[in-house]
Amino acid sequence: MKQKLARRGVAVALALVLGVSFGAAAAQTPKKGGTLVYASVSGPGTLDPYMASSVVELEVINNIFEGLVTLDNVNATKPMLASKATASADFKTYSFELRKGVKFHNGQEMTSADVKASFERYKRISPNAKNLDAVDHFDTPDPYSFVIVLKEPNVVLLDVIKSPIYPLMILPASQKDKPARDIEVIGTGPYKLGEWVKDSHLVITRFDDYTADTSSPGRDGYAGRKTVYLDAVRYRFMPEITTRIAALQNGEAQLISSVPPDLSAKITERKDLAIREVFPTLGSYIIVNSQKGLTANVLIRQAIAAAINVDEIIEGAGGLNKRNPWMSFPGTPYFLGDTAPTPWYDIKNPAKAKELLKQAGYKGEKIIIETNSNYQWMRDTMLIVAEQLKAAGMTVDVQVTDWTTNASHMQQGTGDWNLSTTAFGPDHILGPQQWRPMLYTFPHITGNDIIDKAYAEFFQGQTLEARRASWLTIQKEVLGGGYLVKIADTGRLSGYSKSLQGQNDYAGILQLWDLWLN
Amino acid sequence: MPVILIISILAFLLLSLLPGDPAMIIAGDQASPAAIEQVRRQLGLDRSFLEQLGIWLFNLARGNFGSSLILNQSVLSAVGERLPVTLSLAALSIGFTIPVGVFLGSLAAYFRRTWIDSAVMTVALLGVSIPAFWIAILGVILFSVQLGWVPSSGFAPISQGVGRWFASMALPALILSLFQIGFLARMTRSAMLDVLSQDYIRTARAKGLSEWRTVGKHALRNALILIITATGILLSAAIGGSVIIEQVFALPGIGRMVVQAIMARDYPLVQGTMLILGFTFVMINLIVDILYTLADPRVRHD
Repeated sequence: MKQKLARRGVAVALALVLGVSFGAAAAQTPKKGGTLVYASVSGPGTLDPYMASSVVELEVINNIFEGLVTLDNVNATKPMLASKATASADFKTYSFELRKGVKFHNGQEMTSADVKASFERYKRISPNAKNLDAVDHFDTPDPYSFVIVLKEPNVVLLDVIKSPIYPLMILPASQKDKPARDIEVIGTGPYKLGEWVKDSHLVITRFDDYTADTSSPGRDGYAGRKTVYLDAVRYRFMPEITTRIAALQNGEAQLISSVPPDLSAKITERKDLAIREVFPTLGSYIIVNSQKGLTANVLIRQAIAAAINVDEIIEGAGGLNKRNPWMSFPGTPYFLGDTAPTPWYDIKNPAKAKELLKQAGYKGEKIIIETNSNYQWMRDTMLIVAEQLKAAGMTVDVQVTDWTTNASHMQQGTGDWNLSTTAFGPDHILGPQQWRPMLYTFPHITGNDIIDKAYAEFFQGQTLEARRASWLTIQKEVLGGGYLVKIADTGRLSGYSKSLQGQNDYAGILQLWDLWLN
Repeated sequence: MPVILIISILAFLLLSLLPGDPAMIIAGDQASPAAIEQVRRQLGLDRSFLEQLGIWLFNLARGNFGSSLILNQSVLSAVGERLPVTLSLAALSIGFTIPVGVFLGSLAAYFRRTWIDSAVMTVALLGVSIPAFWIAILGVILFSVQLGWVPSSGFAPISQGVGRWFASMALPALILSLFQIGFLARMTRSAMLDVLSQDYIRTARAKGLSEWRTVGKHALRNALILIITATGILLSAAIGGSVIIEQVFALPGIGRMVVQAIMARDYPLVQGTMLILGFTFVMINLIVDILYTLADPRVRHD
């Protein structure tokens, strides 16, 4: 009897083990079909990739369009619609071989004429077009070859054209003369546009004639072999987080965006739902207006940096944050990690701040902090910063406005402010060339010879090591000179139903290939 | 007509006072100063203030409300697409409000200084005091997540079936009507109290009319002027209140569009919508005036 029970026990245990492993195997087997409902904060304003910079736009665009090159799983450059991309020895000519047989959603095959027309339209209308200023002309020797000839060497051209914002996607040549924001939405991507009702919802459907990149074994960041299992994805625009969570809880949506950490328990308390951490997506900074009154003085800027306690800010402002003293994300080519000291970061030394203020001849004049009522983390950050500056003996005036005004002031240097805050995204992935316009805009750096010279060297640097050295000089000057004060790298949380399978750890903007619904 | 002209100038002036540069916002975060300048020229924002006002009024006179910068469509078509949502919401909430509000208000007046009066007035006070966004969120959690009676959000047009349309609008309209019911019940109670103490009500009772006829016909008819006035105000308030409700319930209506347009400094869209809403409010007032004449013959004779 005992033996029988024991045998039965073994059998049950075996069955359980097998059952679990079979279950796991079943869960891992992709299943075709179904419509994924994705609840996001708001809808896109435009699906013209050359004009798109906001996440809600790129979340759709990345699934409909593709570029010649793009970012792989470690944010390095990888060909997508090109099969090969090469630069000449003098970095003045870039040649692209195109993949053959790639179809647009209208059924036409993509050729070099489409690529040329797309680059020309990009040069004409994109706010990012300055990155192609050095282009002399484009050549199309045959339908599957495309050549960019530059007026002067540019070692980072491929990094520029893989930009995930204002992405240089390939459109049919018929769109060449279309004005900004007014294209027919036709790409080569794995999904095509279905219905779009502004402010309500948008549907994309599987493009059955999609030509996957078979040279890759599987997905790879924005690149690689993309397989679409879902029939369609329905984006629903729900600005209110409680409504998004409710939609996930009652099964109306299987994926929702932007879950604040303090509400994540509402999702994790359910066994059928889970939270995905997407990290890092942004880097947060205190912006110091270097053209305005007190903060035009480097000693005052350094005093402000010396008073900052990063951990207090991370704890007080909430969200998903990790410390990082650099202006590039870990794992990207320009991340300098432990290769150099970072004395500008998290100084938290009020005594040193007071000393610097004394040297600057500071006499209690008002330092104006501008923040906004739209983003709570920004407001909380600046309230904590205000207290830290007060503790170091500074007189501070916090002014709250709306984000649009705040952003406009920061970007144009208008308004009456010394300090503000914001977060930067793709610059941390793409590196120094993407940062350059930001540095000359937000803290309004002008006439800094060290930065100008380091950038000149950067664009001449033929090896990554040389360019990393220039980037170190730039960061030492920007962060050490108190133009920007780095706070942390930040991420975001999304909520999903466990019936949605196939998500990976890559922190890119929403990718809907290789996902399936069980 | 003068009212519309004043509204149109106000709509232009108010927006011009807002800080923030639409050209910069349209061009995007990473745009160069040259790109921003190009957008500014395209939008005509480089012209003088008076020139811009003149162009705005001239276009209006030709029925041209302008084109939205963010939606890439004309203001009239943008408003036209969203009008059914906001009107559905306002009409349904008024549909809930009038019978319930008038009934509760009359009930409280008839049973004044009893527990019924206290109960109705407490509910009415809660209705006008509780913030709509909070009660809306509680409503979603209760009716959508816990009970599963209605979807959490979204709009189903009536072309997809009356049942689906009603399911999508019932909860938002109910939440929107809570404030209005509270307001209307208090107004009705006050008007009815006044009327119920009049001599002709005593006469009606003395000549043996039933209580139902006395209150339902004689008293309520006399309180109607105040109730119509309140309803006119409520309809305007419902359109205004739809901003919050549309945001919480993700309804693609005019309120939500205006909020986004203000954030994006989409001047033509905000100005055009303000003008159209201003015109709607003027029309509501006109209809209220016409209803007065139907409800009260004395207004006609004057």
